[in-house]
Amino acid sequence: MSEDVILVIVVATALAFDFTNGFHDTANVVATSISTKAMSPRLAVGFAAILNFVGAFISLEVAATVANDVVEGGAITPTVVFAGLIGAIAWNLLTWWFGLPSSSSHALIGGVVGAVIAAVGTGAVLGDGVLGKVLIPALLAPTVAFVAGVITINIAYGVTGRERPGPVTRGFRLGQIVSGGLLALAHGTNDAQKTMGVITLALIANGTLAEDAGVPFWVVVSAATAIALGTYTGGWRIIRTMGTRIIKMDSAQGFSAQGAGAATILASTHFGFPLSTTHVITGGVMGAGAGKRVSAVRWGLAGNILVAWLLTLPAAAAIGAAAYGFTSLFGDGAAGPVIVSLLSLGGVAAIFIHRARQGSPVPATG
Amino acid sequence: MLATIVDTTELWQTVVAALIASLGMTFTFSLVILGVARLADRARDDRPAAAAGAGLLAVTGLVLTVAGIALGMVVMLSK
Repeated sequence: MSEDVILVIVVATALAFDFTNGFHDTANVVATSISTKAMSPRLAVGFAAILNFVGAFISLEVAATVANDVVEGGAITPTVVFAGLIGAIAWNLLTWWFGLPSSSSHALIGGVVGAVIAAVGTGAVLGDGVLGKVLIPALLAPTVAFVAGVITINIAYGVTGRERPGPVTRGFRLGQIVSGGLLALAHGTNDAQKTMGVITLALIANGTLAEDAGVPFWVVVSAATAIALGTYTGGWRIIRTMGTRIIKMDSAQGFSAQGAGAATILASTHFGFPLSTTHVITGGVMGAGAGKRVSAVRWGLAGNILVAWLLTLPAAAAIGAAAYGFTSLFGDGAAGPVIVSLLSLGGVAAIFIHRARQGSPVPATG
Repeated sequence: MLATIVDTTELWQTVVAALIASLGMTFTFSLVILGVARLADRARDDRPAAAAGAGLLAVTGLVLTVAGIALGMVVMLSK
């Protein structure tokens, strides 16, 4: 009974994390389409939410990586997964509060790794998997998207540069419906799968699933629904703040940036690499900007990505470890997760109420 | 050392696939825009042969773009 209560709390926390992931990332997915007037804000947000949902069904490779290649399956308990999720959510809120760049994906993996270390030690962390499947792809993917953005914008300008601007702009705006759709699809498939992987880990740890079991269909559907609802809900806030936050670019740049980001995320997803979709999309946008005029790019963003890459995993791991330690103070039963959940809910509510009074915009993480 | 830990084949394939997909889609779709823009101009200038050529370019670009996206989706779904 106690185990089942913990499992329900873990699943609910994971889906809440997935919802916030979609909520935060709406801006990344729709900003270029809205900025170039390829789509109205309402249409872009609705379109992104639907394709986020569909994208979650495309592949399960990333979920398998999170479930099998990051930590030893035998070291996982539902409480460990719960502490990892709390670590990730706390780190995301902390970075949101201070306006620091953050990656939900890295925070999630860091949180789980930290909780496992606190529970059974470093021996249960699969170092090869973390390095080869998480750290190196996390650095490589934004670089690839940047390079692709630089080359594709030059191809677009090279092929269409001598034509009248009117038809070219309209043409690339139409193309952005496809490239923006692919980006939303890519975002849904990579990000929703991380939650699927974590829930699957908890189900295996609880004995509900066999160790070699795949991701249950209800997990896929619920993760897809949570990220799509988050995207849709987050979108309305983004629409209200759109005037100050969008990136100015022409439709060819928007098409190139979205195409570069979508191709990089989809290719990485195929091989099971859990990426920061925010970093990849930013890489594509910066590439499309640098390809036109190097000075137009805010190069500080690249430094921010590097800082986030270096900081997020260890920081989320430290919070995940602390969350596990605190939860364990209340014994092995459901009391610890219940108390920590209530405290977390209270903390989150207080933070959002405080920020809502200040009218602060929601930053993007991925 | 690093090569034994990291699956460089998968990383390399990811890089190549991402570059080919994004570059290919941008090139073929740019051909569509080029073809459509020239089709309108040539038709207005009463040059039917050139207009037909531009139309063929646009259709070819569109077919290649759709085929490329479809191929990418099939590869994604096949694993």
